[in-house]
Amino acid sequence: MSRGVALPPLRRERLASGLTVVVASRPGVPLAAVRIVVRAGSALDPAGRFGLAHLTAAAARRGTRTRSGAEIDEGLEALGASLGAGVDEDAASVGLSAPVEALPKVLMVLAELVGAPAFPTREVARLRDREVAALAHDLDEPDVVADRAALVAAYADHPYGHPSEGRARHLATLRRGDLAAFHARHWRPSRTTLVVVGPVDAEATLALVRRRFGAWRGEPGGDVELAPPPPPRPAVVVVDLPELTQAQVRLIGPGHARGSAAYAAGVVTGSILGGGFTSRLMQAIRVERGLSYGARARFASGRAGGLFFVSSFTKVETAGQLVQVAQDVLASFRSQGPSEEELVRVRGYLAGLHALSFETHEAWAEKLAEMELYGLPADEVSGFRARIEAVDAAACRALAEQRALGERPLVVAAGPARSLASQLAPFGPVRVVTARSVA
Amino acid sequence: MTRPVTVGARVLELDAVRATTLSNGLRLRILAEASSPTVSYSTVFQVGSRNERPGITGISHLFEHMMFNGAARYGPKEFDRVLEGKGGHSNAFTSNDLTVYYEDFGAEALETVVDLESDRMGALRLDDAALEQEREVVKEERRLRTDDSVFGLMEEQLESLVFQAHPYRWPVIGWMDDIQRISRQDCQDFFRTCYAPSNAAIYLVGDVDPDAAAALVERFYGALPAGPPLPPVAAGEPDQRGERRAEIRFPAQAPALLVGWRGPAARSPDAAALDLAQVCLAVGEASRLRRILVHEKALVVSVQASFAWRIDPGVFLVSCELAPGAKVAGVERALFDEVARLGARGPTARELARARALLRSAVLHDLGTHHGLAQALGQAEALLGDWREAGRTLEHYEAVGAADVKRVVARYLDPALRSVVTLVPGATR
Repeated sequence: MSRGVALPPLRRERLASGLTVVVASRPGVPLAAVRIVVRAGSALDPAGRFGLAHLTAAAARRGTRTRSGAEIDEGLEALGASLGAGVDEDAASVGLSAPVEALPKVLMVLAELVGAPAFPTREVARLRDREVAALAHDLDEPDVVADRAALVAAYADHPYGHPSEGRARHLATLRRGDLAAFHARHWRPSRTTLVVVGPVDAEATLALVRRRFGAWRGEPGGDVELAPPPPPRPAVVVVDLPELTQAQVRLIGPGHARGSAAYAAGVVTGSILGGGFTSRLMQAIRVERGLSYGARARFASGRAGGLFFVSSFTKVETAGQLVQVAQDVLASFRSQGPSEEELVRVRGYLAGLHALSFETHEAWAEKLAEMELYGLPADEVSGFRARIEAVDAAACRALAEQRALGERPLVVAAGPARSLASQLAPFGPVRVVTARSVA
Repeated sequence: MTRPVTVGARVLELDAVRATTLSNGLRLRILAEASSPTVSYSTVFQVGSRNERPGITGISHLFEHMMFNGAARYGPKEFDRVLEGKGGHSNAFTSNDLTVYYEDFGAEALETVVDLESDRMGALRLDDAALEQEREVVKEERRLRTDDSVFGLMEEQLESLVFQAHPYRWPVIGWMDDIQRISRQDCQDFFRTCYAPSNAAIYLVGDVDPDAAAALVERFYGALPAGPPLPPVAAGEPDQRGERRAEIRFPAQAPALLVGWRGPAARSPDAAALDLAQVCLAVGEASRLRRILVHEKALVVSVQASFAWRIDPGVFLVSCELAPGAKVAGVERALFDEVARLGARGPTARELARARALLRSAVLHDLGTHHGLAQALGQAEALLGDWREAGRTLEHYEAVGAADVKRVVARYLDPALRSVVTLVPGATR
């Protein structure tokens, strides 16, 4: 089993504006990873405006008071930097990788686009139209269609109940003013963490961040605490994609929040059921029956709550069989829990993966930002192994009984409805929807 | 330990690599690197879809699946069970040219991994039940990646247009009929010829003592017999005499376009110049095609270019997802105009500097993990004939001038040498 993972030397500071800054100095390739997370995720999208948080994050780089979008692109890329921005349900994030010597320049650009984006009308309109068109292309990806339908079916009217990228018909109505207002309300220093990781001098980098981001001001507060989502209701939803030869299948049950005490047990249970090649679902579906190329299960956890997901796919004719096999695997786990052999193996596996997952500056930047976003304890990384070791069979079984799919889960499948509806009828009344309804 | 890096020059300390060859022909390259307590162990077999023939297309990939089904010391289902319990994980991939197996794990598991890998190289079990089960899994993989994937369908069609005779004309996963047809005997013949130590190389990078690691590999693999030489590949390809076109009809939401040109082989000095051209054209928001087609003219939702290095001349690809209302002909015109302009005038000094800077960051990024280092060494040796090339990539990019980019674009991305696949949304039946 591998040695544990320890945090690199950190400098953490809260600036007068409320911005939290974390700098981790670690050796390695001479690139710096910068990550900015703002508590301005898609859960804050107003009704009828799904996609606003996403479009705001994407449009921030399309121009500031002093630079056009093209100048930002050109300026960053000339330095060898690459920038990406996006949202999940809880946060907007901007990630950047750049040669360390370029940090003074790239931080100047980042400070402008995070603190003072101009949202030029023409650029916003083009980006919006492109996002709407991208959703049309997404409908040609069966797995994306299934995931979007699953989210909506599982969370219903909760703020988590729409895809972070939004809905085409909502996106199409968004204007520059909507983005500017969303930015002014939610993108505030007090709701933001900036992380820099790489072979950098921590003090000098911290001083640089203070200088670059010193001008960004905003009122503190503005936090919106979400109620936990209700557990998903049992149902069978089929998205009709008549031309496909294969069905994408999801089984969904209730989960828990990222900060929940059940989180570690969720990692262990998810891994035994559907992580790696030796998981129960992978064995039952792929290895023993050749029904699919892959089968996964995991607890997906946000700030307010989460879900348990099983994902797989199989040729249309065996979709019903696949759901039954997955149900049987889950039922057996609910009644008997994991074996000691499985627990020992999964502890070793998770400890090893944990060490492997911290080889890059980006991985550290992401983890440090996540710790701030969810208020995770300082021993989140170094204590991971002890927390996994402490999960026993009883904890997994209790979690499975409470959360990981009741006897009647929510089933979502994307594929030819005529065949799927008859195969899935034994699992509950089938509701057929069109692909366009999930766009 | 900080990895030695010189700006714009070598990014790997090549003298630190310990390279040996066992008496059975197995090549071993070890790089001790202790920045994290992990090891990446990669076994590269010099065989891919390039070495197949019609009737058994896809056998390299199907066989890759068979390698996880048990050998002599470790029986069925034991490979992953043992490895995962030790904190490691494993996977494999097959390309047109190669089949690669890798394990990433904590340094303490090294002996277990050497034991597992040498066991299956020496004494793989090939039984009918495992073959039938993996055949079904691979058919699902094909449905996922090709039959139900717009881009998968287009890419398969494009490769068959670009290549008329060369084995690159069939997909790595193989034709569905061939996947169904491959027999256990085919697999046995394949294993005997292609999976001998003399056709393999091991790349071991991480927190290890190189002498002890080399001794371990010698102990476990040393007694395996060398194999016969691989049959030669029929790599001929007739010259292209004009544009080739195909249309895919599929009930998609929106049109798309895929264009390919036959490029140079990986070993050609032109390959590096074509990488620079790729970045000028479509890597990053400030690249020509993104700036013009996406931002200025709003004709496409996305545009991407790729040039994957291969043993024999491979394909330079450009793909576009169209904006609603945009016409394929209009997108083609704008795309081809820009390619022609780059071929006629070459990149500006600023574009060239930008491309070099982005490529430098990408190369450094790739070499930032033990896994990335092991893969880079393996790819360099398999495609270029020398693992040392993994440390020379940036030198090659630095040596490319604007005139080189202009020349390779004019030569390879010639309108008469292109193949075009368009996706026409519509009913299939």
